Amino acid sequence: MLGFSDRSLAHFLFWVTQKKWFLITMAFGAFLLFLPIPEGLSKEGYRTIIIVITALMLILTEPIPLPAIAMYILISEVYFGIGSANAIAKSFMNDAVFFIMGSLMLAVAIVKQGWDNRIALGIIKLTGNKTGNIVFGFTAISALLASFLGEHTVAAIMLPIGMTLIHYTSENKQKVQNLSAVILFAIAYGCLVGSIGTPSGGGRNVIMIDYFRDSNISISYLDWMLRVYPLVIIQIPIVSWLLLKTFKPEFSHLDTGIRKLVVRVAKSAEMTGRNTVAVFIFLMVFAGWVVLSESVGLGTIALTGVLLYLVAGFVRWEDLNRNTHWGVILLFGSTISLGSNIKATGAAMWLASSIVDFVGPIINSMPFVADGIVTIMTAILANVLSSSATVAVLGPITMNLGSDNLHMGLVTAIASAFGYFTAVAAPACTIVYSSGMVKAKDFLKVGWKMGIISILLLVIYANTYWLLFE
Amino acid sequence: MKILIAISSKEYSGSTLSAGMKVAQAFKASTTIVDVGEKVSEFSTKVVELAQERMESWDFDGPGIDVLEWAFSYLAEKEFIERTDIEAGFPKNMLFKTNGSRSEVYLKGTICDDVNLILRNGETIAELRDEVQTGFYDVTIIGGSGKRRMAHDLVQYIDSSIFVVNQYNSNQNYRLLLAVDDSPGTGRAVKYGIRIAQAFNIGVDLLTVSKNDHFGDGYKAAAERAAKFMRRSGIEAKNVFKIGDPSEIIVKMAGDNHIIVMGSSSRNPIKKFFQGSKPLTVMENCKCPILIVK
Repeated sequence: MLGFSDRSLAHFLFWVTQKKWFLITMAFGAFLLFLPIPEGLSKEGYRTIIIVITALMLILTEPIPLPAIAMYILISEVYFGIGSANAIAKSFMNDAVFFIMGSLMLAVAIVKQGWDNRIALGIIKLTGNKTGNIVFGFTAISALLASFLGEHTVAAIMLPIGMTLIHYTSENKQKVQNLSAVILFAIAYGCLVGSIGTPSGGGRNVIMIDYFRDSNISISYLDWMLRVYPLVIIQIPIVSWLLLKTFKPEFSHLDTGIRKLVVRVAKSAEMTGRNTVAVFIFLMVFAGWVVLSESVGLGTIALTGVLLYLVAGFVRWEDLNRNTHWGVILLFGSTISLGSNIKATGAAMWLASSIVDFVGPIINSMPFVADGIVTIMTAILANVLSSSATVAVLGPITMNLGSDNLHMGLVTAIASAFGYFTAVAAPACTIVYSSGMVKAKDFLKVGWKMGIISILLLVIYANTYWLLFE
Repeated sequence: MKILIAISSKEYSGSTLSAGMKVAQAFKASTTIVDVGEKVSEFSTKVVELAQERMESWDFDGPGIDVLEWAFSYLAEKEFIERTDIEAGFPKNMLFKTNGSRSEVYLKGTICDDVNLILRNGETIAELRDEVQTGFYDVTIIGGSGKRRMAHDLVQYIDSSIFVVNQYNSNQNYRLLLAVDDSPGTGRAVKYGIRIAQAFNIGVDLLTVSKNDHFGDGYKAAAERAAKFMRRSGIEAKNVFKIGDPSEIIVKMAGDNHIIVMGSSSRNPIKKFFQGSKPLTVMENCKCPILIVK
């Protein structure tokens, strides 16, 4: 056909099937481009919305690599005249991107320190051998650590501890199916509920803080903790209770497992001078976040920590380079650029006011309805996309949905952590799923319950506890 | 001759391995077993790798290694492979990354020379296609359990012949059903059919189907030639001529006690994509193993 061999036609067909979502997305984008621009929206604003829709479709279906999606966003912004090349390049990099880059590298540096042995010993000392207490211990430690270190770092550290305890309890996987689910979900969900606690708990929190700063709203590290941390504390026992109720572990006590685990970690858990310095560096980073983040930014401090670990020789650049996903950083940079342009072109305001026009009367009479809408919308998007990308794109819109931008922004950031529903919804879930000890259907079994509880809890919490700050 | 056997899990891959190795032995082929693990969302690939590094430091294997270990033991137990160093067991420490999503267990020269073991992660069709293209395999063997769509795509997009070990029962007395017509694919199908019939030690039904009651000279000549090849190879074979829709008749006659061998369609790929083809229709509807020869 037209000089093409059957083989090259087959190759072309294969390419079409592999890239079908890219082709569909581009066709849909072109279709939108030819529709009349909605009233009240500028040409640039409309085009930004088209880039948002097409970028979200690409992130969801992944027909091209993530860095390619980043490039698509950036060049589209320039080609569609949303900003000059230099303006787009500037909007691509800010402190939130620094933070995401720094926190991904800090994760590598911290995970390489091998603190897992000490943490394992700590959990055992705290909880004893009762399964219920152990599950609570795993949830609590994961949540508390993740609130400062970030969910992916803690999930990577906690996973082998959980797996070892399960393995020592019984080597026959069939006999410990429910126990595996309870302990590994305690880690994943613990990390997720913890990650909302402080700005450094996740890149999405820092992205939101950047949007606050753009709107001249100031929130310090401690302010954030004061407003959000109680929700972390409330959710910890709820996660443990829900997991124990849903999966009903096969053993009520884990004597054998605990005993063997103690023997395994006792030798290697002794504190060395190197460990002390590594912990000290992290404590300095933490202190920097608390005291200096408003003046120099969370990202700068995270990068300072990485620099100190490199200078101390506790991590090699080769390891940082190998374990850091630069493509993800590019993508977050481009979604943040897109987010700032949604705002700059007036598209965010237009979208927010369209939603308000639609549900305005209800929101006015029942303010918590706006929280409910934002929470559900964010949670759904965070489950199918990525939590940081969700906040980057939704943040500027949802912030304007109510009268209090800080309130709505915080609700968005918190709801983006509700990635409970599938094995791929959040890095912490993907990490525990990669162990092969929990099944994809387990996420559905417990995820929807956790999702509903968290959504209700957030709406109630935001409309009661936060009244104290008004 | 190079053969690739794709497996997916311990539970469902036993029959694929057994049937696949029989075919590999018939062709005296170099055999590679590949397990394609689930694709990890690109957002999490690096953090999952980081977690797996920690898991390894606590003596846990990464995902997929248990499947390769099982395959290795299964083949040794059924004496499909000869381990030169049985004591050492499965050398999981010899698993090395060869590129992005592909790892290989180095067995040659140390543990076992009969088989290669590969681990891949990603979208199954794309990974298998890449493996076949880079490794220049002649036949790809896959299981048939609930993965008709996958088999369908493999037939469309992979350059090698495809053997779908569909509902294979080692206790069943099979015959080979060789679809014969005047298409260029028949010659290759006959050659493969002979080897398979010899490997499984079974007789052959040479089925020629015409859409009307007139069998053209080309059809008759092809049927005679196939029968002659079978006789010369010492294989018991009989010609069967039927009238009707070829795909329907092949599926009906094959039932669950034949291994179907047929040439791939010579239609152009675009037509095949939209209108399908005889081999694809047969593969989608049959209740027995099928080899589509390219």
